[in-house]
Amino acid sequence: MLFKLSLRNAQRQSRDYLVYFITLVMSSALMYSFNSLVFSEEVLFLAANIASLPAVIIFASIVVIFIIGWLVSYTTRFMLLRRSRELGTYLLIGLENKQTARLFFLENLTVGIFALIAGILSGCFLFQAMRAVILTLFGTPYTLALSLSIRAVLLTVIYYALIYLFAQFKNRKRIHSMKIYDLIYYEKYNEDIVIQTDKRRRRIFTVSIVLGAAGTLLLLTGNPLFGLIGACCIIAFLYGFFLSFASGVPAFFEKRPARKYQGQTLLIFRTLTAKLATIGTLMATISLLLTAVIISEGCGQCIHALFLERAKQDCCFDLFISSRGKARDHTFPDYVGENIPIKSSWLYRIYLNDNAQVLDYISERTEYYQCFEKDTLIKFSDYAALRKMMGYPAVTLPQNACLIHCIPFLSDILQDYDEPITVGDTALTPDGVYTELLSQTWDSGNGHQYILVVPDEVLTDCPSSHEIYAAMTSEPVSEAQFQALSEILPDTANAVSLRAKSIEEAGAASGIVLFVFPLYYLALILTMTAAAILTIQQLAETDRYRRQFSLLGKLGMRRAEMIKVLRGQFVLYYAMPALPPVLIGTSFIYYMGNMAEPGTLAGASSPLMIVLGTLALFFFIYAIYIVLAYTSLKRNVLPERT
Amino acid sequence: MLQIKNIEKYYGNKNNVTKALDRISFDVSDGEFIAIMGASGSGKTTLLNCISTIDTVSAGDILLQGENIAKLSAEELAGFRREKLGFVFQDCNLLDTLTIEENIGLALSLNHADPHKVRKKVEEIAEKLEIADILDKFPYQVSGGQKQRAACARGMAAGQSLLLADEPTGALDSRASKNLLEIMTRMNQEMNVTILMVTHDAYSAGYAKRVLFLKDGRLFSELLRGERSRSVFYHEILDILALLGGDISDVI
Repeated sequence: MLFKLSLRNAQRQSRDYLVYFITLVMSSALMYSFNSLVFSEEVLFLAANIASLPAVIIFASIVVIFIIGWLVSYTTRFMLLRRSRELGTYLLIGLENKQTARLFFLENLTVGIFALIAGILSGCFLFQAMRAVILTLFGTPYTLALSLSIRAVLLTVIYYALIYLFAQFKNRKRIHSMKIYDLIYYEKYNEDIVIQTDKRRRRIFTVSIVLGAAGTLLLLTGNPLFGLIGACCIIAFLYGFFLSFASGVPAFFEKRPARKYQGQTLLIFRTLTAKLATIGTLMATISLLLTAVIISEGCGQCIHALFLERAKQDCCFDLFISSRGKARDHTFPDYVGENIPIKSSWLYRIYLNDNAQVLDYISERTEYYQCFEKDTLIKFSDYAALRKMMGYPAVTLPQNACLIHCIPFLSDILQDYDEPITVGDTALTPDGVYTELLSQTWDSGNGHQYILVVPDEVLTDCPSSHEIYAAMTSEPVSEAQFQALSEILPDTANAVSLRAKSIEEAGAASGIVLFVFPLYYLALILTMTAAAILTIQQLAETDRYRRQFSLLGKLGMRRAEMIKVLRGQFVLYYAMPALPPVLIGTSFIYYMGNMAEPGTLAGASSPLMIVLGTLALFFFIYAIYIVLAYTSLKRNVLPERT
Repeated sequence: MLQIKNIEKYYGNKNNVTKALDRISFDVSDGEFIAIMGASGSGKTTLLNCISTIDTVSAGDILLQGENIAKLSAEELAGFRREKLGFVFQDCNLLDTLTIEENIGLALSLNHADPHKVRKKVEEIAEKLEIADILDKFPYQVSGGQKQRAACARGMAAGQSLLLADEPTGALDSRASKNLLEIMTRMNQEMNVTILMVTHDAYSAGYAKRVLFLKDGRLFSELLRGERSRSVFYHEILDILALLGGDISDVI
């Protein structure tokens, strides 16, 4: 009988808590797919430095357990409060506290078990999607191989049990200690002004704004201690802001009654303040979570772009060996000749000019991390051979002219450079700027971010900076070959630098899997948790909204006006907790994006694009919940069209 | 002011038709205070809902100030309710997120009144209905009687010509009921508000100038107070109710 009653109750509440259920399903799907990664030998054997992935994921999962634990605990407590009258009635008709608690526990357990099963099943597909992304990152072919990892299932069940049992235990205790009166009359409460006096409220509001600005600035210093203090300031700001704002808005309109009665302001602002006054602390917590979401997503995108761009810029050749001395003196050519199938190769030198004309020109116009004291030079014949090797279109060099090859970031600046460049006794006119990839990083590349391509004959007196062996192979250089080469090449005082495109790409892929995946994992869980709680709160008010619109209809409000009011209430309700995180998060991400060496993150990976990408991803997931809540509420609360 | 002409209202489908209102006709003049009485299921609330345009009639016409409300579109009906009708319900129907002042001001705001004048207007009406001291309170902070007076204030704030009250004293104790009915009488006498009140309660009906009795959806009888005292009128109402039969225990 008791179980039947539980099932019926769970079914009846499905409308209000569908969003909660979907969030639980998605969370367990994410948990299962990440646990599958922990046990996937295929993924763990992709690269040596990916071995620490299980530890990173387990650490992220611990954070996830806390977050989802909070969601479950909050939602069950919320359900308990919403159904307090019903539970009180059970006590009234003679059920014991113990039985009522068991009834409530069974209901939630039923929902949890269903969510877990659905989550694990959808997690199988999600894991395939993650596998596909990871294998593509490592350049390994992907084939669909649906399977269920028993160890991953067990780990997910353990996480889930921890989350669920903790929340249920707390609620059981709560029901055990509740009295019939408390349960029946719990709902008779509307608005409470948390901070009573105007003066105190104004003071808290002002202090919180100052703390918010100071916290953001401290976060941007890059100093760990200041960063920590900054984070504390931001937490204080969010709680202070939401608690004082809720009490401050009615005071604002009290002094400006005309504004209050303008258009739909009255209904929109009152609904918001009524909400904020009762759930101000929750709003601040949600805001905090959303700040963490934006920062995690932004960091994820920054690191992702940084790894990819670095790998691309560091080595575009299949094999690239640079030596301060003479590369040809080493023994590596023998190893390469015997073990690596070379398609084409080129041995050449990078020279140093006796002046820093272009270097100074760039330094005056942009932030530039200097690696050479003077401008770097390359013979046109070597340059033409490298272009040919890379399959770039051939270029010509007119007499007494030079070319500039640089990274795209410097292109605009160097396009405008028109001063003659002096090499020895010869003055050369700049004749064009090229920006294809050419391994122009560090002090061992083809110049640092730029190089001047000059006629061979002018380089007779210039000193050599380093010698480079660049090669394209018919197969990517393997990790074993790279390891063998590193052992052959002596690395005394960084005299020799060894790079391979495949190894750089694998390094980037490992970095992305190790750092970016867990960050996105956390960000997704946090967004879903925050948006789910906001939506549950909103949908739980369906009856109140219905009463409100029914009355407004009787008072003669048009349906179109009601839609406007509902939209306004929605926009404000969801924008409020998202606004501070957007301001704090974007300034942090923008700053982080600019911390990389200028030019590394440019174009589609520029800090601005990263900020936009982060916001787009964040609002995309957030919007799904808003649309779900809005359509459900619109359908259920507005009067029928006549 | 209001003319009800042969209105009929049916519910149900082909096989099972319930006649809620059966050829009801009566007129309401400007400044009248009319009570509609009848047992449960006699059609009182249906009649009020049809007049208030919340429900539609199956046949017949309802004319308010010469305008046939049955012929208005949904948009026009909304405008009509906003401008001409005021409502007081048994459960007050105040919005619990708004203060009393805002609940009253809402009617003006919906009527696109000048926002600068709303507060002043609300204060004036509140003064008349003796609720000026609770304007900054929320509905849950005031008594049932005060809530009903606030609903009355909302019902006339925007200059509506007809106040429709559905069991306004239904949820009040006898003292609060008496207070509310006296206020409604003053609204009717001093501010010339036309009131149409549905009630079960003979005592409440005694405050009206005319009482219409419904039975099984039909107009059963009509009683005019004239110059009689309220207690005499009250006893006459009870006599008619005795004739009506049914829920006598409900009405006293």
